[in-house]
Order: sequence, then structure tokens, then C-alpha cells
Amino acid sequence: MVMLLSFLEIRNLSFSYNQKRMVLKHVDLAVERGEWIAVLGHNGSGKSTLAKTIVGLLRPAEGTITVDGITLSDETAYDVRRKVGIVFQNPDNQFVGVTVKDDIAFGMENLSVPKEEMLQKIAFYAEKVGMADYLDKEPSALSGGQKQRIAIAGILAMKTDMIIFDEATSMLDPTSRRELMDYIKTLHQEGLTILMITHDIEEALMADRLVVLKDGAVFADDTAEHLFQRPEAFREAYLELPSALRIYYELEAAGDMTPPLATTLWRFGSGK
Amino acid sequence: MKNIVIGQYVPGKGFFYRLDPRTKIIAVVFLMVAVFLLESILQVSIALLVTLFLMILGRISIGRVAKGLRPLFVLLVFTFSFQIFLNREGARLLAQPMNIGLYSLLAVLVITVLWRLLARFKKFKGALFLLWLSGVYALFAFLPAAGPIYKVFDFEIYESGVVTSIFVVVRLLIVISLSTVLTLTTKPTDLTQGLESLLRPLKRLGVNSDDFALIISISLRYIPTILDEANKIMLAQASRGADFNEGKLVEKVKQIVSLLIPMFIIAFKRSEDLADAMESRNFVPGKPRTRIHDLSFGATDLVTAIFTVIVFAGAIVLRVLP
Ligand SMILES: Nc1ncnc2c1ncn2[C@@H]1O[C@H](COP(=O)(O)OP(=O)(O)OP(=O)(O)O)[C@@H](O)[C@H]1O
Ligand SMILES: [Mg+2]
Repeated sequence: MVMLLSFLEIRNLSFSYNQKRMVLKHVDLAVERGEWIAVLGHNGSGKSTLAKTIVGLLRPAEGTITVDGITLSDETAYDVRRKVGIVFQNPDNQFVGVTVKDDIAFGMENLSVPKEEMLQKIAFYAEKVGMADYLDKEPSALSGGQKQRIAIAGILAMKTDMIIFDEATSMLDPTSRRELMDYIKTLHQEGLTILMITHDIEEALMADRLVVLKDGAVFADDTAEHLFQRPEAFREAYLELPSALRIYYELEAAGDMTPPLATTLWRFGSGK
Repeated sequence: MKNIVIGQYVPGKGFFYRLDPRTKIIAVVFLMVAVFLLESILQVSIALLVTLFLMILGRISIGRVAKGLRPLFVLLVFTFSFQIFLNREGARLLAQPMNIGLYSLLAVLVITVLWRLLARFKKFKGALFLLWLSGVYALFAFLPAAGPIYKVFDFEIYESGVVTSIFVVVRLLIVISLSTVLTLTTKPTDLTQGLESLLRPLKRLGVNSDDFALIISISLRYIPTILDEANKIMLAQASRGADFNEGKLVEKVKQIVSLLIPMFIIAFKRSEDLADAMESRNFVPGKPRTRIHDLSFGATDLVTAIFTVIVFAGAIVLRVLP
């Protein structure tokens, strides 16, 4: 029997930290190879928890996770992590190396990448995240945003098929964020699968699909265009529309809408 | 707080910087042992001169090394005094009658107060201490014996005391200088990696030197972060009215507890996150990994090894010869 699986298949996933309260409730999610998914949701909706279960750092109470045909378990966690990398929310707590260079190298060292190749990749990815001049710096000499960039470089260098970004660009200034997003876009075009957790709705618009979590359950899973036609649903999940769309709906409510303005605002707001 | 650097590493160039950390560690250990094998004041003095010469050759600033000695100043003074006052062998060099009486005690009290008042001139700390010490000596020895006298005794110094105290101090100076040269010229990362490599044979005994080195380097990496954190918590609590400098002992203990509890909680959370980050980047304890720094043995290492062997052999020969 041949089953056609997506790259990442999450079926009926539930998770609880302390038995009392379910943090993830019957989550179903499928991500195709090469797809870009944005995950949105209020604080405490379970986004980071979902990300950690995908790479096997938390063991689900119920449900299965399959990555590229491998069903996640304690035995297969290592193989899954060779396919899925994750950049965490807090840049301070994921800096393992004594210097920037050591930190970018850490994942590659674990994968037994030869030294020459590592040095080459360190230089390449440090350049990509704009940290080429900081290779010998210690983490205490870096800002939060700079540490985030190093974390991103370290994961990029591991060349996984999929990367989960857990609010990984939250501390970057607008210019470097745009540059980095442009680079991630290029990687996406080259085939990288992306799951991007974010509170920034404009950033989420770069994704193919939006997944909205609310209180640990999947509240919506659709394209931006479809979702934005139900603004009340957005409010229900404690989210905010892109500002152009907010203006669109305000004007519509006021009955003050001319057709060209409407299309422009809509196009602008939904990123199309 | 941002710029705390762990270890004393000072970036630079020169002979010692080019050495493999393993060579440096082994050489320092062997040279220290060699120094402890030496028996005469002449031998250790020559060893001190050689050490100084090597530091100049390696373009290491003597001032830097001297700075490294500063925290051990008390130890040096203590060792010196211990030997010079308590050793009673050989010819008697000095016998100074001392009077401990009311007036001399009062005078000592006065100069002690003066000394403590001047203590804020941190630069002259050592000099002031020596001045105070000679002052105390002079007062007990030369103040006319007037008023009530509590005790009269002879302050004696013997030949062997002088010799041994100088010998011990010089030997200590060499040992400290050697280890300072090591930490001054080797990055903490290289040092741990050198240690790791040297401890590798212990694997047979069940000690995993790779993980051991990783633990050390992660601790090194997080010390500044945690100090930074302590600072932040202190500021946060000060902004809510806590005062870490004043108050009675009970208050102080309370404040320290109020500092430690959040620090522990944060540290636990941090280590959990860090373990997650390491695991998600495919770290598996005990599994072989490649390294970006690899250690290589070069010509400078050979020269150092030969030098160390000669010195070590020399020290043994000197010890064994009658
Ligand atoms: N280690 C933990 N132990 C117990 N409960 C936890 C733990 N981590 C998270 N939680 C709880 O699980 C819920 C989901 O947390 P999670 O971190 O997944 O939320 P999130 O969607 O990532 O939020 P944010 O937007 O703030 O990052 C929260 O209610 C939180 O209190
Ligand atoms: Mg989160």
C-alpha cells in the first residue's frame, strides 16, 4: 500500500505540560515539501510548544508526527532533526559556542561536517546574516538581534530541508529583517520548506498559507486572501489585520468605498 | 558588566601564541615540577632569570604578568613571613629586643588607623602595607620602654629563615608566572580543547573528555551572561527600594536570598532552553563530532618540547647529584 504523505504530517496531536491543561488540542497540520507556512496566534496559544513537538523535544500525549516519511519517536528524533532545523525565540538561551564562529559551527560539528567545509560555510552564512565582521566575538559582546542572526546562520548552515523560525526575527531592525527575509525567500525558491511563527502579520503575508492557533487548537488554516475575507474571525483569534485591510474594512463600514481604492487597499493588504 | 572576559587571555602575537595548547599545558606542568625539584637559592634565582628572559623573548609584557600576581600578593607575604619568623636554624642574624607596652600599642593603633585611612589609594596598597609593617616593627623595637610594659622578647631572624623564605617566594613567583603565561596567551576555548585532547586517554576509564570540555566551555560562555543577569535583578530590586549596601545582617541575608531565588529560576529555565537548542542541533552526548579548531603540532612545539625535556632532565640531575 502506498500512502501519499506530505513532507510534514501532524495528525491529532495533543500535548500537555502537566496533565491538567491541554496546551495543544487535536492539532492536524500538513506541510508540503517546499511550502511556506506562517503560524499565528495569541501569546500562550501553543505555537512554541507545537514547534518543539515537531522536532521531538516534547513528547506528545496523543497523535503522530511524520517528517519525510519518518514517524517521530525517541529512536527517530535524530533523523528527524537532520531534516528539520529550528531557530528558537530567545536568542540568549540558544547560543552554545564561546564565540560566534563556534556557535555557527556547533550544529555542523555534530553532523561531522569536515573542517574545511565548515569554515567555508561559516564565512558564507555569517556574510548572509550580516555578521561577517563578528566571527571572533563573544556572545556577551552582541546585541539581542545580533544573537538572533547568529542562531539563524547556525541553522542555515546545517542545510536541513525544513526550518522552523519561532519569532526568530523579532529583534531585528527593519532593514536587516527585510534583507534576511529576502534571503529566506531565495532559499524558499530553491526548495526550502518553512514554518514561520510570527506576530507580524505583514511578515506572515510572505507565506503560502496561514495557520492560526487559538488556545492550542487550529482555528484557521487557509490562504491569506481567504482568511482576510472574514475579518471577524481574525478578531476572534486575538489577531490584527494588516493596516491597509483595516482601513479597507473601516471605509467599507462607512459606506465610503470607491472601487479602485478598494482594489488597491485589498491588494496592498493581502500581499497579492 | 558587558565586557567581562573570562580568563586572562590577551590577544597578541609571538612565540607563545603560536604554540599548540597541549604543548603549553604539558610544558608548564613539567616546568613547574622541575622548579620544585630545585634545591638551592642559586638554582631558583637562575630559573627566575630564565623565566623572565623567556617572557621577554615571547614578547609578553612583564607588567601584565605582575598584574596576574597581584591577587596572590597576600599568599606571598604570608609564605615569606611564615618562613622568616618561625625558622630557627643556622646562624642568628638578628636579635632585636622588643617591648610590647601601653605606649607602643597605642602608637601601633595610631599608625594602623592612618594606614586604613590611606587604604583608598589602591595604587600604593602594597607599599603602604610594607610601610605599616616596618612602622609596627620600629615602634616595638625602638620606642623607649616607658609606662607599663606587658611583654619583652627578642625578635630573632636566623640565616636559614632568610634563605628559605627567599627560596620559597622565588619558587612561587616562577610557578605563578608560568601559569600566568599560559592563561595570558591561550584562549579559554583552546585551553579547554587542549585539556580535552590530553584527557582523551581517560575514555577507557569511562570519562568522556569531549563532553567534559563542552561543559567547561559552556560554563565559560554563560558566566558573563549570569553576572549580567545578577546585575539586572539587583537594579530591578534597587528600583523597588532594595538597598544592597546598607542594613543589618538579617536584611542583607534577605536581600541576597531575594537575589538568588530569581537567579536560580532563570538559570534552570536557561539550561532547559539550552539543552533544547543543543539537542535540536543534533547534539548527542558522547557521539564523535568534528571540530573547527584542530590542534596541530609544529616546529615551535618541537623547540618547546626539547627545551622542556632539557630543563626537566637538568633539574633531576641536579637533584640526584650530591
Ligand atoms: N515549560 C513549560 N511548563 C509548563 N507550561 C508551559 C511551559 N511552556 C509553556 N507553557 C504553557 O503552555 C502554553 C503555550 O505556551 P507556548 O510557549 O507554546 O505559547 P506561544 O504561542 O509560543 O506564546 P508566545 O506568543 O508568547 O511565544 C502557555 O499557556 C504556557 O503557559
Ligand atoms: Mg512562543
